[in-house]
Amino acid sequence: MEQTRQVTVTQAAAVLVSTIIGVGVLPLPLFAVRAADSGAPLVTFFGMLIAMVGLLLITWLGMRFPDRNIVQYSEAIIGRWLAWIGSGCIIVFFAVLTSLTAREFGEVVVTSVLKTTPVEVTVIVMLVLAAISSRNGITTFAYIHMFYMPLLIGPAILIVALSLKNADILNLEPIWGNERKDMLGGTVTIAALCQGSFILTMVIPAMRRPKKAMRASFWGMLIAGGLYVTIVIATVAVFGAEETKKLLWPTLELAKATSLPANVLERLDAAFLAVWVTAVFSTLLSSYFLTNQAIAFLFRLKDHRMFSIFLLPFVFLMAMFPKNIVQMYGIIMQVGRVGLVLTIAYPGLLLLVAILRKKRGKPLGSSKSG
Amino acid sequence: MPLFRRRNKAINKIPSVNAPIAYMEEHKDAKITGNLKETTDFIIKLLGENGDFLMREFHVFGQYPATMFYFSQMVDPSMLNESILKPLMYTPPHIQTEQLPPERLQDVLLNNALYHSNCQTESLLPSLVKGILRGETIIAVEGLKQAFLIATRQIDKRGIEQPATEQVIRGPREGFVETIGTNLSLIRYRLQSPELRVAQMDIGRKTRSKVAICYMQGLTNPELVDEVNNRLKRIDVDAILDSGYLEQYIEDNQLSPFPQVQYTERPDKVVANLLEGRVAILVDGSPLALIVPTVFNQFYQTVEDYTERYLLMSPIRIVRLVALMFSLIFPSIYVSIISFNPELIPTEFAVAVAGGRAGVPFPAVVEVLIIEISMEVLREATIRLPQQVGGALSIVGVLIIGQAAVSAGFASPITVVIIALTTIGSFATPAYNAALALRLLRFPLMILAGIFGLYGVMIGLILIANHLLSLKSFGVPYLSPLVPGDFQGMKDLLIRGPLWWSNKRPSFLYPLDRTRNSGQSSTSTHEQSENALDPAKFQGGKEKS
Amino acid sequence: MGAQKAVKTVKLLCIGMLALPFLTGCWDRLEIEDRAVVLGISVDAEKPEAIAEEDETTHKADAPAVAGKEMVRVAVQIALPGRIPLGPGEGGGGATNAQRTVWVIDVVGHSIDDAVMNLQQQLSSRLFFGHLRVIVVSEEVAKKGISNINDYFHRNSEVRRMAWLLIAKGSAKALMTAAPQLERVPTLYLMSTLDEAIGMGKFPIDFIGMFWSRSAKKGQEGFLPYVELKKHQNVEIKGIAYFRSDQMVGKSDPIGIGVYMVVKGINPAGYRVLIQIPGTNKEVTTAATHRKSKIDVAIKNGRPVFVVTAAIEINFEEKISGDLLINDMKTIKTIERLQSRQTEQAVEDFIKQTQRVGSDIFGFGEYVRAKKPAYWNRNIKTTEKWQNMYKDVSVEVHLDVRIRRIGMKSQ
Repeated sequence: MEQTRQVTVTQAAAVLVSTIIGVGVLPLPLFAVRAADSGAPLVTFFGMLIAMVGLLLITWLGMRFPDRNIVQYSEAIIGRWLAWIGSGCIIVFFAVLTSLTAREFGEVVVTSVLKTTPVEVTVIVMLVLAAISSRNGITTFAYIHMFYMPLLIGPAILIVALSLKNADILNLEPIWGNERKDMLGGTVTIAALCQGSFILTMVIPAMRRPKKAMRASFWGMLIAGGLYVTIVIATVAVFGAEETKKLLWPTLELAKATSLPANVLERLDAAFLAVWVTAVFSTLLSSYFLTNQAIAFLFRLKDHRMFSIFLLPFVFLMAMFPKNIVQMYGIIMQVGRVGLVLTIAYPGLLLLVAILRKKRGKPLGSSKSG
Repeated sequence: MPLFRRRNKAINKIPSVNAPIAYMEEHKDAKITGNLKETTDFIIKLLGENGDFLMREFHVFGQYPATMFYFSQMVDPSMLNESILKPLMYTPPHIQTEQLPPERLQDVLLNNALYHSNCQTESLLPSLVKGILRGETIIAVEGLKQAFLIATRQIDKRGIEQPATEQVIRGPREGFVETIGTNLSLIRYRLQSPELRVAQMDIGRKTRSKVAICYMQGLTNPELVDEVNNRLKRIDVDAILDSGYLEQYIEDNQLSPFPQVQYTERPDKVVANLLEGRVAILVDGSPLALIVPTVFNQFYQTVEDYTERYLLMSPIRIVRLVALMFSLIFPSIYVSIISFNPELIPTEFAVAVAGGRAGVPFPAVVEVLIIEISMEVLREATIRLPQQVGGALSIVGVLIIGQAAVSAGFASPITVVIIALTTIGSFATPAYNAALALRLLRFPLMILAGIFGLYGVMIGLILIANHLLSLKSFGVPYLSPLVPGDFQGMKDLLIRGPLWWSNKRPSFLYPLDRTRNSGQSSTSTHEQSENALDPAKFQGGKEKS
Repeated sequence: MGAQKAVKTVKLLCIGMLALPFLTGCWDRLEIEDRAVVLGISVDAEKPEAIAEEDETTHKADAPAVAGKEMVRVAVQIALPGRIPLGPGEGGGGATNAQRTVWVIDVVGHSIDDAVMNLQQQLSSRLFFGHLRVIVVSEEVAKKGISNINDYFHRNSEVRRMAWLLIAKGSAKALMTAAPQLERVPTLYLMSTLDEAIGMGKFPIDFIGMFWSRSAKKGQEGFLPYVELKKHQNVEIKGIAYFRSDQMVGKSDPIGIGVYMVVKGINPAGYRVLIQIPGTNKEVTTAATHRKSKIDVAIKNGRPVFVVTAAIEINFEEKISGDLLINDMKTIKTIERLQSRQTEQAVEDFIKQTQRVGSDIFGFGEYVRAKKPAYWNRNIKTTEKWQNMYKDVSVEVHLDVRIRRIGMKSQ
């Protein structure tokens, strides 16, 4: 589509990190604590492991076909019609994921900061932002993620560091949790928060050295997963498992419970939320971009730009579907579990068939001179 | 001036043409026939009506009729008299000048008679006219099929002064002037290397402005030089009055508020950039050179960053960056905290701010917008005013109006503080055009802040950042080296690393030769350096003796 | 060319339509001076008869939910924007007109939200809780249970977790109307009383968020500062008000705070203790400077047994009477021994005191939960069971007191 093959390993890792870290971080400790109270960090860790497995499958698959993305190589592996169904599912799923992310953040903003602003407005603002930005090519897309990554990690680390003075190690013990109610369910829910990493299937064909994609996915997952675990540890250590269960967005509450030294800012929740707009934006951008690109490749369009605006009303209407915040979180969890099948089992299947049928993409260099 | 009058009379006999360009276009291949009358008629038809045009008939060596054409105010008259007219009219004793055939005469004139270094022959009539317009002197001799073009141009020019907009405490004091020749000499003087190449072209159908493209052969990426050439060649306008005109034709994104081409009036800055692998473009008549490609971090760097010691300049550069951010987001942050999230500031301060604002009739966003706009008006007025009154006005404007606005209950004192900080912040940005962009973008941010508070500010900043990230200057990502992730380049991004650290040229320019210095020059000098005047050495010796 | 122009027009229209929601906006803009910035809230109990004072804002007067039930009187302290001078210089007489920098209004209601609604009905500007620093609850209300107060302030996104929740002896409203001499704004004085207390080691950090966290824990109960308004409009921290679930079940002496801090090993330490050397009339005081503690739990005979090992470093502060020479190790040892015995006694007493009502403010239960999860899951698991079990667990206390410094005098 343009002068591709510019994305470096660092950029690919940055794409992963800033895609995975998103609005899901806000309720993350709640999900983890519900599963196994003081064992929350462990649950998060397991969730990250599952997500890592999925990501490795995708990376492996992508490296087998270094110059094609999932829409293209799935056709080569399982035939045109089956692949159409698979890609169609992916497109629909990521469109839904986009809308839910936008809605979730809209709810956060409306509940905690802009109380009388209609949620439609906050949602559409985010979606328009994503739609406009997804008109750029993959190189700019990677730049955007690269630029925002420090802006996500910095505030999160700051909040964690500032809250540590109130932490009590006793809250984290026993590390496997007192009552493991739904360890598996929690693990799956948390793994589902990382589904954005599927974007790697679109990034690999644009990488300068696809051979190093594995390194990018490893580092990306390590940083994002490390941050997830750190945030859960900090939240549980400060609040204790029982209090965390009472909070809808424990991470936001953590920001509320800390203040900068010397009272420069007395409380950080509104500021944190403002900075977190970038995190949500980058997640949203990834899933929007993925949907958009997948459609463009599925219909073999030259230009993906037209669709970015065309997609907007559909995504917006889907975002408005949940009636209230409780129903929204119900849907998010359901969709997340379905999505896990789609983002781990489907690539796994493709990989298996590809190995069995000995399908393999052209090695790099044969088609391009440099 | 009897001579002057006589010539004019002769000129007036021949009617001038109404459409000179069309006429020249029509006769673009017209050659000199050797008939002096025809040549004279052609030139007079085109230029004869001008009061400052002069035509001087004389006899070469006392026997061959010749005519000299020039614009009287563009040439150096003493040079004309001493080095051209005198040797041509005076028959040299050592050369046989009788009855020369035309070819031989041309040779003799060029090789033996004319005392001038820059002397060309030309056979096309329109080129003669162009030469005269450039300030050259034309000498046509009866019987010769070629005329002489002698570079006699002398334009009154400004002396070299301190650069007005980029002053430094430590560093060279020279600035470019309007004439391109002087400017090129200032560059050559600093860069005495055979690698420096200066390609020239004329742009502007009417102004025929000379444009020089400077680059380092064997260092600058040739693709870049080609692209610059191509973009310049595509320009087809009638006038280039300043390098600013060129900038707007060659930049990548005309809709962007951010400048994608850097300008400077400092020759040392041009040289530094040439050595990094950039291309400089100079235009005759403009004291500002353009430098491409440009990345964002150049706009907050100054010459002093490099002339002063790195330990001191690194924090100062960060201060400049803070000022830059101040000028962009300070008012909008203020608006969103006051109108949306007053819980963020300390309670004591919040109560005090509320007290200050209690009498103000407008919402914070309107108040800030009003004061900001009046500040812009004031700033614009100060630029337009003559220097003598400018200072007085700014004092009246800032101090008195600000104070009065507060006591009239029109603005709260804290708003005035915020606006003052913002304004000062925007002055701290070294590049005027970048400061202008940020100044402008402040307003949409303020409006967004008025609608959505901090959330809106963030949305605005994301839009700006995404725009910056998609922006390119000659293919170089605008936020290089931060964003494509070049760690080597980051040594000179936020801080100014020691000179021996940045021993590589910026990689995003893809220079042919990346190494700037050996990277060891400093460490090795440290190792070898001795305490030459170590007191231990001398005192010990003294006591012994 | 024409088609291109049409596309452009359509694009512009789209952008214009998308921009529309922006232009209609400013939903949440509320200027700081248009907000009624609530700095403090007090909650007092009222008899059901007070319903006569209330108008029907959230409910009808005869609704079954409210009829004949206990009521609360809520007083809020609102900052008056124009009255609090900007900067340090202008309002030199701040102390004299302190009463006028804030405005205290009180209303009655059946719950906090009901009362706040009633109040909003009487107030032009919107109540803003973003700067709410102090919530004072009267002892009477606290003894009845503060679950409603907790729920309201926990749910409200404006309220900060770093506000103080205080239990007042007598009327809570009196603390709102008090006009201390030191600060321009009374509530800020109240707040700084507590903040400074933390700095001086007089009180552990106990913001409302921490109280919530502690109360939520299965093996721990919350506690709050217990304060009283004194005659010079100043405020005394009288001790710890300890809770069981949402109910206040008792209060300690001021020295109880020190005891609590010893058990938890909280620094900085700041309590002074008076010691009398037995058999003489020699009395001295010492000041604690540093505390350290360790709590161990073991299961013996199917019951958890706790061992608290604490070390305190103290400085010698003053001699009250007698001519004790403190320049030899023997005297110092005596004082150390005396103090450790005395403090051990105080700790044991205070733990017993809380055990009687089943209020484990020290969080011994949390140690069981964390260190002996198997035992916890088998025998306890819920808050109620621990509250019962706490009443008869045994706690051993070992104290080690060290004198480090004796001041500028040599004897």
